[in-house]
Amino acid sequence: MSYSTENRFIKISIIFSFISLALGGLFGLIQLLARTPYILNIDPQIYYMVLTGHGVLMAIVWTAFFIMGIAVFVTTRVLKVNLNKVLLNSSLILSLIGTILAAIAILSGQANVLYTFYPPLKAHPLFYLGAAILVIGTWIFAVAIFLAFLSWRKSHKKEAIPLPIYGVIATLIVWLEATPGLAIEVLKDLIPMSLFGSPVDVLEARTYFWYFGHPLVYFWLIPAITLWYFTIPRILNTELFSETMAKVVFILFIITSTPVGIHHQLVDTGIDPSYKYLHTVLTYTVAIASFLTAFNIIATLEKSYREKGGRKLFGWIKNQPWNNPVFASLGLAFIIFGLGGIGGIINASYSLNYIVHNTVWIVGHFHTMVGTAVTLTFMGATYLLSPFIFGRNIFSGRLALWQPYLWFVGMMIFSLSYHIAGIFGMPRRTSSILSYSPIPSEWVYLSQIAMIGGLILFLSGVLFISNIGLTLIKGPVISMNGESLNIDPKPNTMFDNLKIWIIIAVILIIVAYILPFMEIYTRGLSPVQPRLP
Amino acid sequence: MNKIEKIWAGIVIAILALFLSTLAYSITIGYNPPSSGALCLPADLEKFNPGVIEREPGVYEVNILAKQYYFEPFKITLKNPKKIIFRITSIDVIHGFSIVGTNVNVMVFPGYFTIVTWEPPQNDQREFLIICNEYCGTYHSTMYSKLIIER
Ligand code: HEM
Ligand SMILES: [Cu+2]
Ligand SMILES: [Cu+2]
Repeated sequence: MSYSTENRFIKISIIFSFISLALGGLFGLIQLLARTPYILNIDPQIYYMVLTGHGVLMAIVWTAFFIMGIAVFVTTRVLKVNLNKVLLNSSLILSLIGTILAAIAILSGQANVLYTFYPPLKAHPLFYLGAAILVIGTWIFAVAIFLAFLSWRKSHKKEAIPLPIYGVIATLIVWLEATPGLAIEVLKDLIPMSLFGSPVDVLEARTYFWYFGHPLVYFWLIPAITLWYFTIPRILNTELFSETMAKVVFILFIITSTPVGIHHQLVDTGIDPSYKYLHTVLTYTVAIASFLTAFNIIATLEKSYREKGGRKLFGWIKNQPWNNPVFASLGLAFIIFGLGGIGGIINASYSLNYIVHNTVWIVGHFHTMVGTAVTLTFMGATYLLSPFIFGRNIFSGRLALWQPYLWFVGMMIFSLSYHIAGIFGMPRRTSSILSYSPIPSEWVYLSQIAMIGGLILFLSGVLFISNIGLTLIKGPVISMNGESLNIDPKPNTMFDNLKIWIIIAVILIIVAYILPFMEIYTRGLSPVQPRLP
Repeated sequence: MNKIEKIWAGIVIAILALFLSTLAYSITIGYNPPSSGALCLPADLEKFNPGVIEREPGVYEVNILAKQYYFEPFKITLKNPKKIIFRITSIDVIHGFSIVGTNVNVMVFPGYFTIVTWEPPQNDQREFLIICNEYCGTYHSTMYSKLIIER
């Protein structure tokens, strides 16, 4: 079977994601140095341009394009199907155009609104237009994958859905649950605001934004978890401890990743405390999925250790292929996922949230999750899949082994010091802390420690990007025969019937959001004029 | 699912239920995140007077207006406060209101009033740093004010 269109899609979207990661990393470095007192003094306008760029490039562009590339790879290779060429090509073109339009608005300094773009701060219309086009591109992408999946399903009714495909489908379902919130906010509020100066109600807009913003997190995380489920057992030459539990996890994500967005608005005015508590409860339900994932991965590690004759109680930690770059990346990402997950429970805690809200604790938190659990996993997946995707082996295996360890160490230092500084109230999203007086001394030394961690992190990023760059140019060419991944078919079970779970998800979303939106609309809106940042 | 998995799922649910019940308990003793839903329409904004009113001995109502890039009033001095009720609104964009080192940390929206009640630690006389901790524009990091508690 020939996959020429698909392969082109994979290459372009993954290389584009690396370019975003590289540029985003450079921006991260600038922020790091500017935030540490007396290191780098930059104009605040430039700082917020850079910060908008970093947030958008890292949180949206790097993740979305990598995920799309890998989703095409997995779908074609596991199901052995072709995707609709027209849909695939148009989704790629639209996603690229949308991203480039938004990038032009950001880099020209006319969209210093950060990646959350809360109104009434106003950006250039191209910024919102670009975002809208990108989202449409991803919707077309989802259709292409779903069509291929459904046609495969028709001729394989008795078979279970292979786990990696399950992951792809769950990711796209969550994306389709989430993006209507963004679409409504952009079309109803932001584009009219930016084009015609129409007033906007900030609470309403924020509620739509976070309706999208939380499931976005699972859009990143489900692919990472899928890669763990799929790759770790293969490296260890064993089977996943429980495939059923893995599917239960995906189902939980489908059901509960969306009706929880108000946990980002716990200290917003205008939302009744009981709805905030409801979303806290639902957030804890999503946490169950993460706990089950952690168990499944650890049980797989232990199982493989016992199968190889290990006897010690904790021997399964040490006796793993920690010198394999792919395993090291995924394993370290997984450890940080565990730590970050605990932080997440604190963030979502109704009455603890106001200690950490909008402090650098949050910055520490999401660098553990999207910045490591997801990013480092994607890096490891790149080491694994480079021969399949680029037809070349990784240029330097040594560098590829150092890189995840440096990332891990750098991230531990960086994120731990930001977590602590957050408890001391140090704000995020500030171009400099020197303007406050008096400056709490904890803010100063904790920023300095964070800087050391961030520099190690940056170095690790440089190693990754240069190793990949060299791989593309000079990596040993290898021809991969057998272009497909074989997964033994298993019998269909109730966990393979996605329809029912989607219906439950929709009902839960309606229940969780109808009350807050009724509150907002029955009280009446209070729109205000847009402003430049 | 096999047996160990079920046990683990049970443990997880028990832990989370415990956490949720501590949160529920915190509600019963009045620790709710600030949630007032009062609108601040243009007419309300006109009548709004930033400043301090002593409602009862030790009970202060503090009205604060947030603007790109300062709080009005800049300096608030309170004598022997037992309870402080902050009423805050914004005249332009979203701001934050965080009293550093305390658990007062809340969003301030244009078009809405944010109302927070705080009982400061007794016998503590201090100068608190108040910062805007939501990005509100280019000079966001210069936006702060002072709360001085005298005894
Ligand atoms: C080279 C490594 C990195 C460094 C040195 C770095 C540094 C930083 C710093 C210092 C901030 C806080 C800025 C502020 O609040 O004023 C920040 C924010 C952020 N970072 Fe990173 N970062 C790095 C990598 C990443 C990665 C890999 C991701 C995600 C994939 C990421 C996602 C984000 C996001 C979403 C924000 C929030 C932006 C906002 O508040 O609007 N970063 N980063
Ligand atoms: Cu969230
Ligand atoms: Cu501000």
